[in-house]
Amino acid sequence: MSTKTARWIFYIGTLISLALFLVLTVDTHRQIQTLTHADRLSEQVVAGKRVWQKYNCNDCHTILGFGSYYAPDMTKVYWRRGSEGIKAVIRSPETFTTWRKMPRLPLTDKELENLVAFLQWTSEIDNQGWPPQDQKLRAGAGQAVALGVSPGAALYQAKGCFACHRLYEAGGGAGPDLTHVGSRLSYETIERILTDPRSGNPEATMPTPPLSHEERYQVGHFLAGLK
Amino acid sequence: MPLAYPSQRVAYPYFVVALLLFVLQVIVGIWLALSYALTIPQWLVDLLPFSTTRAVHTNLLVLWLLLGFMGSTYFMAPEETEREIYSPTLAYIQLLLLVGTGVTALAGFVFGWTKGKPLLEIPFPLDYLVVVGALIFLFNVGMTILRARQWTVIQGSLFGGLVFLAVMYLFNLPFYANLSIDWYYWWWVIHLWVEGAWELVAAALTAWILIKITNVPRATVEKWLYVELGLFLFTGIAGTGHHYYWLGAPSYWLWVGGIFSALEPVPILLMLADAWHYLRNRRSEIKGRLVFTYAVGMAILHFVGAGVWGFAHTLPQINYYTHGSQITVAHGHLAFFGAYVLLNLTFFYYAMPKLKGLTLFNERRGNIAFWWLSITMSVMTLAFSVAGVLQTHIERIMGLGYMTAQAQMRLSFAILAVLGVVFLGGVLLTVVDLMTLRPGPSAKEAA
Repeated sequence: MSTKTARWIFYIGTLISLALFLVLTVDTHRQIQTLTHADRLSEQVVAGKRVWQKYNCNDCHTILGFGSYYAPDMTKVYWRRGSEGIKAVIRSPETFTTWRKMPRLPLTDKELENLVAFLQWTSEIDNQGWPPQDQKLRAGAGQAVALGVSPGAALYQAKGCFACHRLYEAGGGAGPDLTHVGSRLSYETIERILTDPRSGNPEATMPTPPLSHEERYQVGHFLAGLK
Repeated sequence: MPLAYPSQRVAYPYFVVALLLFVLQVIVGIWLALSYALTIPQWLVDLLPFSTTRAVHTNLLVLWLLLGFMGSTYFMAPEETEREIYSPTLAYIQLLLLVGTGVTALAGFVFGWTKGKPLLEIPFPLDYLVVVGALIFLFNVGMTILRARQWTVIQGSLFGGLVFLAVMYLFNLPFYANLSIDWYYWWWVIHLWVEGAWELVAAALTAWILIKITNVPRATVEKWLYVELGLFLFTGIAGTGHHYYWLGAPSYWLWVGGIFSALEPVPILLMLADAWHYLRNRRSEIKGRLVFTYAVGMAILHFVGAGVWGFAHTLPQINYYTHGSQITVAHGHLAFFGAYVLLNLTFFYYAMPKLKGLTLFNERRGNIAFWWLSITMSVMTLAFSVAGVLQTHIERIMGLGYMTAQAQMRLSFAILAVLGVVFLGGVLLTVVDLMTLRPGPSAKEAA
């Protein structure tokens, strides 16, 4: 091979790749508006992204799989914990962690609301169904919630109960599996535990769920019906 | 033996600072492994969270590698252009500016002053000072090349790579409201650095050293350099797509990223074959075997770390399960070590004796340190890989919780903390050796 040929390989190889890359970049800009629901990118969501950066969340957690690998991925955390669940962890991380800790961060209430809005928006990004574990959880949760389309089931998901309690193969493993909880506990006992988690077991690490009287009634009946 | 050009001396402080930052980087790395293996008390996590120390670890890496490249460029430019550096004073000012900015940024991280973007945490306005430092550097090197008017492919590759590097950093400056677009351009910095701009710099520095130690005709080396660069850029630019699978970009990136990045090992393999070919067909006896050992070690571990470990999880069918896991960490460590740490150390071992006026130096400690570092980093990569496979299987495939997987990975990290201490020993030996090179016996005895 002559130097001239080698030079042509360099120019042609580089230019082909560059041209392809730039054309696809332009097209990606067009399509990403739909794929990320850019119309829902409200001021609050953008403010939430700034909170995410301000507290350097991304150097422990991944998001879209990027960042540091020290803590769970945040892409679909909204599915797993719901808005109240996310807030509860950030307000008192020490009650949710055991041997690997999360720092207590001084977020204001407004910052917390913005951050949740950002994470909700993120969870709606159409990203080829990644990550696999959350896709699996969602499929299971959909099935579990569909068992009784009730306000209680919706609250179970929205308040982040899935974070610790399993229902039909979906959800975390920190607390007991609640798939057949209705056959073990009566409505009254469940209602008492929801009011004060330590009433049944003084050693329980479960935080008091952020439920109103009415909501406690709904969730209690949903759970008591799981026989 | 005095330096061919007195202004090459500006490289020396660059090398010294780079080596000290390398030591610091490894010390912080040990703490990171311990943070995975042990339970750090809540008060300490509140005071110095993992996010801060991780930012320090990665920024130190980038800072010392870049300072090493810059020092190497200043060392090489006069010999390559047959001209003194345009302004040695400017080179010292640039070093002070970049080190000052870097140290301020690192201290700032501890107090929560950050841009909050992984690897690119340096906040405004310090990021603009980095740009100023880069511009001073490009001006100084550019003027040296321009005044010499002796165009060579090596100069082109080196200067082209440095300009490419600086331009890509600009994509980090704006605030992106859309998270997906933010990560899209984040990779223009990170990927197009390590699989684009830095490869050009690395190829130029390696080609230059190979000409120096083997006396293989420049025309042959430069011809193959063209082919390598063409292949690096052909696979590397569109290969950026292998980061675009899961961030909310269109699905054609699965094809483009998969195909182009699967070809990325080819130019590295060619580089390895080239180095091997030149060393076998050298026209002069290699004076001092250590630089030779380093150059071959770099070519091999560059291929294993970047090529093999990269290919292992680059196809979308696999990456769906491994993305954002410790598999990435395993690849990252061996690729950076093989491609860029060893490149810097190769260059330091070539240049340092000359900066100290030595023709031959005692290579015994340097040889021990090379094997010590390379073996330890290879074992570390295996430990990260074990952790990564466990994580992928337990968390991604079985769908058990994140912490369930992490619990099974604790042993790997305990081992990694120990390996980190061993690695630190090798780094200290390297630094002490480079700083106190002694005149050596004949080359024959050293071999």
